[in-house]
Amino acid sequence: MSGWLLRRALQAVLVLAIALTILFFLMRASPGDPLARATEDHPISPAELAVLRARYGLDQPVSRQFVSFVAGLVRGELGVSIEYARPVTALLAERLPATLLLGGSVLVLNFTLGLWLGVRQAVRRGQREDRWLTAVSLVGYATPSFWLGLVLAWFVGIKLRLLPAAGMQDPLLSWEAGTAARALDVLRHLVLPVLTLSIVSIAATMRYQRTAMLEILQLPYMMTARAKGLPEREVIWRHGWRNALFPVITLFGLWLPILVTGSVFVEAVFAWPGLGSLAAAAVWGRDYPLLMGASLLVAGLVVAGGFLTDIAYALLDPRVRLA
Amino acid sequence: MTPWTPRLSVSAGLLLLSLAGSSAAQSSSSRRGSIVIVTGEQPTMPIPTMMEGAAGTQGNLELADQLFCRLAGLGPTLLTAGDRGFVPLLARSWTRRDSVTLAFDLDPRARWQDGVPVTARDVVFTFERARNPSIAPRLVALLRRITSVTAEGERRVVFRFSEPYAEQLYDATFHAAPLPAHLLDTIPPERLARSSFVTHPVGSGPYRLVRTVAGQFVELAANQDFFLGRPKIGRVIIRVASDPDARINLLLSGQADAIDNVIPPLDNLHRIKRDTSLRLIPVPSPSVGFLLFNQRDPADPAAPHPVLSDLRVRRAITLGLDRHLLVHAVFGSYAEVPYGPVSSILWIRNGAPKARRQDVEEARQLLAAAGWRDSDSDGIRDRAGQRLQLSLLLPTTSAVRRKLAVLIQEQLRQIGLALELQQLEFPLWIERRTGGKFDIDFAGTIQDPSPSGLTQAWSCTGGTNVAKYCNPRVDSLLDVAIRGQPKENPGQPWFAALRQIEDDAPATFLYAPFYVYAVKRHYRNVSIMPASSWLLLREWSDSR
Amino acid sequence: MTPALTALQEAWRKPQGRAGAALLLVVVVSAVVGPWFLPDPLAQPDILAGSRPPGLGHPFGTDQLSRDILARVVAGARVSLSVALLAVGLSATIGAAVGLISGYLGGLVDAGLMRLVDGALAIPRLFILLLVLAVWERVPLLALVILIGATGWFATSRLVRGEVLRLREETYVRAAEALGAARRHIILRHLLPNTLGPLLVAATLGVGDVILLEAGLSFLGLGVQPPTPSWGSMVLDSREVLVSAPWAGIFPGLAIVITVLSANLFGDALRDAVDPRSA
Repeated sequence: MSGWLLRRALQAVLVLAIALTILFFLMRASPGDPLARATEDHPISPAELAVLRARYGLDQPVSRQFVSFVAGLVRGELGVSIEYARPVTALLAERLPATLLLGGSVLVLNFTLGLWLGVRQAVRRGQREDRWLTAVSLVGYATPSFWLGLVLAWFVGIKLRLLPAAGMQDPLLSWEAGTAARALDVLRHLVLPVLTLSIVSIAATMRYQRTAMLEILQLPYMMTARAKGLPEREVIWRHGWRNALFPVITLFGLWLPILVTGSVFVEAVFAWPGLGSLAAAAVWGRDYPLLMGASLLVAGLVVAGGFLTDIAYALLDPRVRLA
Repeated sequence: MTPWTPRLSVSAGLLLLSLAGSSAAQSSSSRRGSIVIVTGEQPTMPIPTMMEGAAGTQGNLELADQLFCRLAGLGPTLLTAGDRGFVPLLARSWTRRDSVTLAFDLDPRARWQDGVPVTARDVVFTFERARNPSIAPRLVALLRRITSVTAEGERRVVFRFSEPYAEQLYDATFHAAPLPAHLLDTIPPERLARSSFVTHPVGSGPYRLVRTVAGQFVELAANQDFFLGRPKIGRVIIRVASDPDARINLLLSGQADAIDNVIPPLDNLHRIKRDTSLRLIPVPSPSVGFLLFNQRDPADPAAPHPVLSDLRVRRAITLGLDRHLLVHAVFGSYAEVPYGPVSSILWIRNGAPKARRQDVEEARQLLAAAGWRDSDSDGIRDRAGQRLQLSLLLPTTSAVRRKLAVLIQEQLRQIGLALELQQLEFPLWIERRTGGKFDIDFAGTIQDPSPSGLTQAWSCTGGTNVAKYCNPRVDSLLDVAIRGQPKENPGQPWFAALRQIEDDAPATFLYAPFYVYAVKRHYRNVSIMPASSWLLLREWSDSR
Repeated sequence: MTPALTALQEAWRKPQGRAGAALLLVVVVSAVVGPWFLPDPLAQPDILAGSRPPGLGHPFGTDQLSRDILARVVAGARVSLSVALLAVGLSATIGAAVGLISGYLGGLVDAGLMRLVDGALAIPRLFILLLVLAVWERVPLLALVILIGATGWFATSRLVRGEVLRLREETYVRAAEALGAARRHIILRHLLPNTLGPLLVAATLGVGDVILLEAGLSFLGLGVQPPTPSWGSMVLDSREVLVSAPWAGIFPGLAIVITVLSANLFGDALRDAVDPRSA
């Protein structure tokens, strides 16, 4: 097993390196110039443009830029953002807590509530609850997240004034209040964005879990377990559910990057200061250093997600061979 | 059956209610004497001479206005020409020694926020940095006609210019507010961007930067010793939300007190009007939008454009559009159709001629005269087998332009012109337009208060003249206007240039909107400075 | 191919399947026939009046540019449906194929394919699509469909592979192997039917995803440009008037939901028909 783990880890690193290299060159091959915004409203002469390009190393040939990127990476630096003129690592670190909070909450909610509802649906297949939940989950999934977010923000934040409509904290509060009050403040701001993102994603989890569970429920060994006289709850959860977990585990691995990407739409609509909106702005600003930094994080989580998924498969079902 | 379902939902409901209820715990007393302003971009570099390139954002400029005082400010008429009409700030008074020399006397009460008095040395130091091409290329271009800035004693600064022209005082005061030499002269310019001065600037302005929370807000505190009077609002929060819907929501939910532009969409106007705690304040804006015609063939820049190089076609497009209807549909009554590329903050707007109304008949005649007739009766004109079809390039970042483009497309269909829309991502749009790969570009500019900026896009050698429009007569008219000494009618020479531009029809000038600010009614003595929003914030008071 | 046809027939026989297929048929037929009976979706009769609520003359109301929404929803069906169904079909097929092969063959093939998927997931789709736009000035709709399909199969392949890893240890698979059955036979007859569960869920959800993705892409200059309507861009455009004219977004949104629902119904029926063990 440890031989396999080592090989897998090496593969992961290799993939990461290749993906980042491709991304580096892909970015620079894409149309659009990082300094485009600079020249748009307030035009500057070619001489001045040359100064700015030199400052950001954009006048160097792409291969040389790549070498300095890698050199910086080895030192633990990710360069300086063109847009913000600050080190990329600092920018990412600033936004990471907010994104982890949002993404983490959504993941937790998803893989508790979502799983539970999915199993319930499968057990009550064909009944009213199942049909309702199917309809609701599909509507929830097909609803664009920004639309849902705006409706919630309007209804809960403006009409009812129950929760804040946007933002992560109250700027007037934080100065004088203690940690408990501040934490509560952030929690209040967290509810609507998490709700929005969760409604959309739980729907997916439910569908996968339900489908997988349905298959398992039909299997002969389930009937055996029932015949043994075990309580229904144990039959479902102890004997059945384990095998219905495979798609859900895959899903978890696929969604792990949400911890850093958040959701661009939800972050925008709720002015949540996460990495997702930072990265999206970096895309259309062609802020290469910032984009590479963000991509590094995402790629890392994608690879880690796949890795963890495989391990989970093996742990869950000892028959599974991962060569 | 899981018995914990009802328990689960009840506890979840209780949790949510308690979270909601804790909103009441926030007393409004903590908010008195403060204001939360909502804006679109986080200001990260509000330091004069450093707002170059990507840092030249409106957010940075406006925050810099609060932290750093200028020598003198624009008056309510926004007149940039001449020596009068400016408001004394750091400079208490100024005298004109001759046609190329201005002397400023600094106010002896003016101090930096660390207590050190503002002296002539600070001004000299600032302009050294501002006129250094490797530090501030944009400013160097703007300040090119200043030949020297020297100190005479502690409190007098003398500016010398290369030639007589109307905007000498404007150039000396508007573009670069003085920086504290005693704090910065030991920091080399390359190091300034990373120094602590950027995160904790020491300025001469009415507010002090207290803290920045990345991606969320910037907090300012009133400068108690501000020499022109302590600001009555002690705490200012500039809250950041990049999404326009989020900004409006912050305002309507009571989380913010003021916002710099409510429209478009016009919808927001109605929503805010229904909220009686808010007041709407229309303010001239530096924005102007127009359809720019490419004079060159996109496929071969050496050749003239096959369709648009014909003046009749360009005039037909301008006359064929109902610009007043278009503007009204998108901006309501908060925009004008400009005469020439003139936004609502340019002082030359006053007394300028009015834009022509739609004349579909004349448009049709012009097109027919240019040889475009609908020979195959498909609704679209053609000539020698070629359809009258043009493409309109526009960035997806502007909701206004996206909406107008569809309306324009339909209107031009009525005169037999097929317009194909090409909406592009912003950087791609920039690339296409600077490369001249378009028929018509839906352009918009943000103008400086000085009309001399017109040379950038409309003179033969202009830096942003991507359509390669060139009329030497316009160049000389603009030159005369810039040099002119203001007498009775300072706008006159400018009108001549505008008239020539309108006659040449290098573009269809569509909209010069106003910004509609929204501010909570409980703020008194509210005045908004065009092109500089919250500049007069120090005079506001909170009646709560 | 006959097993596939039998499966479809079986699915049609179930009431769910009929409902789903019928719903889809209704949408398609109205998309084809509707424009003859409805006003011009591009006409802007009264701009200043803006959006009008549903009522006489405009069953779905009008949008902010005073265009009839019913006409636009019907017109938009052509683009949205074709893009969604074709692209999803493509990514489902590729994803299933890759997942099956990778999961069953294991070893180097599995490692290679899955690492490829990892790498592909790490690269934002946007860049690839932007690069295409740079090379091609105007990307035709078919090319866009193929691009979306070709870049959307990664998650599906991982899902299918996960199931295959579990299933290949099942007794009936082992038995078939012991009997010397060809690998292709095992994959197609034993594994594929049992992986239909997650595959169909992915496809169903993918339909909704792709419709909205297409709108986002046309926003960037790929895909249909205004004024050609598509459901996704109608939803995106309705954002401005969300509070004052909710119908502008609700109706195209409903169209998307109905499509997803019908795909789901039919997919469920299909899976039931194919999976020998479901009730």
